[in-house]
Amino acid sequence: MEQQTPQPITESKIVGVPTPRIDGPLKTTGTAMYSSDHHFPGLVYAWPVTATIASGTISGIDSSSAEKMPGVLAIYTHKNIGPLYRTPPSAGFSMILDERRPPLEDEIVRYYGQYVAVAIAHTVEQARAAAEAVKVTYNKTPHDTSDKLLDTPTIAGKLKEVTKRGDTAAALAGAAYKHDAVYSTPTETHNPIELHASVAVYKDGKFTLYETSQAVVNHRDVMAAMLGVPPENVQVITRFLGSGFGGKLWPWPHALLAAASARNLNRPVKLVVGRSMMFQSVGHRPAIDQRVQLAADKSGKLLAIQHDYVNHTSMLDDYDEGCAESTGFMYSCPNVLATSGLVRRNVGTPTSMRGPGAVPGLYALESAMDELATKLNIDPVQLRLLNEPEKDESTGQPFSSRHLKECLTVGAEKFGWAKRNPAVGSMKDAEGRTLGWGVAACTWIATRTDAEVNVELRQDGAARVACGTQDIGTGTYTAVAQMVAHETGLPLQRIDVVIGDSGLPPGPISGGSWATASVVPAALQAAQQARKQLLSLSTKTDGCPFKDKSVDELEFVDGVVRIKGQSSGGVPFAEILKTANVRSVSGTGKSTGLFGDPNQKFSFHSFGAQFAEVTWQPEIARLHVSRVVTVIDAGRMINPRAARNQIEGAVVMGVGMAMLEATEYDHRSGGPINASLADYIVAVNADCPNIDVTFLDYPDFNLNPLGARGVGEIGLAGIAAAITNAVHHATGIRVRNLPVRIEDLLVAPGNKTS
Amino acid sequence: MSTITFTLNNSQVTVDAPPMTRLLDLLREHLHLTGTKEGCGEGECGSCSVLLNGELVNSCLVPTLQVQGATVTTIEGLGEHTHLHPIQQCFLEEGGAQCGICTPGMILATHHLLEKHPAPTLDEIREGLSGNLCRCTGYMRIFEAVQQTAKLAEAGK
Ligand code: FES
Ligand code: FES
Repeated sequence: MEQQTPQPITESKIVGVPTPRIDGPLKTTGTAMYSSDHHFPGLVYAWPVTATIASGTISGIDSSSAEKMPGVLAIYTHKNIGPLYRTPPSAGFSMILDERRPPLEDEIVRYYGQYVAVAIAHTVEQARAAAEAVKVTYNKTPHDTSDKLLDTPTIAGKLKEVTKRGDTAAALAGAAYKHDAVYSTPTETHNPIELHASVAVYKDGKFTLYETSQAVVNHRDVMAAMLGVPPENVQVITRFLGSGFGGKLWPWPHALLAAASARNLNRPVKLVVGRSMMFQSVGHRPAIDQRVQLAADKSGKLLAIQHDYVNHTSMLDDYDEGCAESTGFMYSCPNVLATSGLVRRNVGTPTSMRGPGAVPGLYALESAMDELATKLNIDPVQLRLLNEPEKDESTGQPFSSRHLKECLTVGAEKFGWAKRNPAVGSMKDAEGRTLGWGVAACTWIATRTDAEVNVELRQDGAARVACGTQDIGTGTYTAVAQMVAHETGLPLQRIDVVIGDSGLPPGPISGGSWATASVVPAALQAAQQARKQLLSLSTKTDGCPFKDKSVDELEFVDGVVRIKGQSSGGVPFAEILKTANVRSVSGTGKSTGLFGDPNQKFSFHSFGAQFAEVTWQPEIARLHVSRVVTVIDAGRMINPRAARNQIEGAVVMGVGMAMLEATEYDHRSGGPINASLADYIVAVNADCPNIDVTFLDYPDFNLNPLGARGVGEIGLAGIAAAITNAVHHATGIRVRNLPVRIEDLLVAPGNKTS
Repeated sequence: MSTITFTLNNSQVTVDAPPMTRLLDLLREHLHLTGTKEGCGEGECGSCSVLLNGELVNSCLVPTLQVQGATVTTIEGLGEHTHLHPIQQCFLEEGGAQCGICTPGMILATHHLLEKHPAPTLDEIREGLSGNLCRCTGYMRIFEAVQQTAKLAEAGK
């Protein structure tokens, strides 16, 4: 497809300038409207009943006493929920969801926590009490929630090749230096602080759904298909999202429960998913086993990489984590083989979690690189520099912009890496604590998806920019305003950003760190179109000083129309609109997607290097991540302040991934046993290290005219390996089974260690 | 049903509600003050923080009956978006709010902290905000927002 290739924009008064969020006043005063904040006359509440077995069938549901409880309006089960449909297969970037079975479809139970009924009542307490009074009986069948994955039967019966070049087996057989190990990562749960929620309003056959969604347009399409109504009968609204980390990308069954209940009762229904349910039926990063084999010559030059991974998925849906996404291009290596396998377990359907594939994949690959460096007695930074590729060796394409070497060298400099003594346990801090220093490289795919943006310049002197994307906390409101401010010269306070509504021109999902890069071309084009219309209007309006001039003689600078190059005699655009009695001029712009385009000229990726310091006090078995230096090459930052926030947040989430987070299944019941924020431990403020973030400034103009890529995921992509590598440096113990637990460190070297 | 009278954000309110209704639901569902957020319902996350007689509490754990005659301050009582409280201004400027869902609770916790320690050390800040989880920011900017507020108050004396 022919791409619009506008001129790169190198200068800007607003793009690239650290800018406080324009939605800050709403958020700090509690007036920003999140989905569960919406209220309507006649609103009633839903509380689901969840399965207490992980496999079997419902033999009976007795809701007779629940129905008689105060305030109860209905109890819906598979017998009376009414029509709900499955979606047709998704084509390209539409109709996506991970759990394809509509809730309450039949009596079969495939995971603990699956919805088996829903109670509706006048208050949330009444609904919850009624849900607890519903008696469900089951015929139980054996379930499997085992976390041993590698070498267990896969769905396909064999491992699927993901990327391949050369002859890996021969290279591994013949190499002088080899490494071979299995890395395991547990089920992780996104746990955004905002609970998933749906407020469903049904009127005259139409649904208005206030959802916790990272993709309102897709959400609308899926809901329409599953409710069996035309898409124009569904509107999905997410004005603010209390973060999602991928968990809110695609619709989950609770949204259908709320919408179907609203339809059946013909009144608004609110369903807020409880925290414990968020460990069951709104997705998770699956448990993964990865075997990584590396071979190198004496100098450290890689000769072979083999990366085999297996992740669990649910009994019905095939979720592939994609751990080998970066294995093919990360390093120069003649022989590469990566394979994937899925195994069925009685768990809820997994989904994308921040940096899907790359984050666990790089934990394995970058740990293996560190182990190889130790074997070769080569500095781990050097080993990576040595294996830097000239191009993407998996596709043959040139990298659009790759500065991994600089990330590594700048990071090493900032961290003080030159002072590292590689001997295990050899470094101490001023208080005598043992120090461990580790490094890992990271990468994340950059791309652009289809997007449409409308910009309106209004008679009241403000601009309105509309796009069916959403702000999940990353700063999209502000970034979009900055783009329009750049193009129009209007101050940010005079730009209204309208997003988070599926009725707007279709915008990108907020996932994959692609939203910003996708919106840029469309937003700039839309603003340019609006400007053209304004200039044209100026030349045709009686009483306007530019009447009968040619459009080419005019320019639109800082909100003022004037003769090109003349700083005086300009007229504010609002006045021109008033004179012409035109309420607004507008323009629409479109970005075309690159995702999956086979004719792409470049390999688009962001890169980074992360350095971690841990302090280790063996006498009290205390391990702490004290310092993290991150250097990121992700194109130009539209708002460096919001971008820095993203990386800092990812680093702290990475401390959690490395040291704390794991969803534990009780294999007797099959349910997640630590399903609360007290028992599923996320990093809290006491865990947070000193964080240093540096952005290399290499705009990627092949991706869009502002050269912006996106930073949502990459900050998490190297951190777990950097930390476990540092743990090894401090303790001599190589933890290949996340998270690092104190118990791991109490094991003497030689036992479960390298 | 119980009739409960209390002072909410400087005005007296009287409500009829079941006595065991969570204060969180009373605020959000009955009074439509949705600035107070629910993140867990179990006293683990702090996003439902409000001030009850000046003390920081998790409103998801407080039965409505308990606020009879009490003074409750929620985020709505602190400032308005046209006229921000200095804590709100500093959270905004320092990047202490990302997705914003933990922000009202964090701001009330900060308010409580600064009453006790007008010039808090980093350890006091960490301690004072230890009941409030944030999954987005990585906490550093929140600490900076608190320090900045304290600095402004000191300069304004
Ligand atoms: S909602 Fe009250 S502490 Fe989490
Ligand atoms: S800003 Fe999102 S949880 Fe704190």
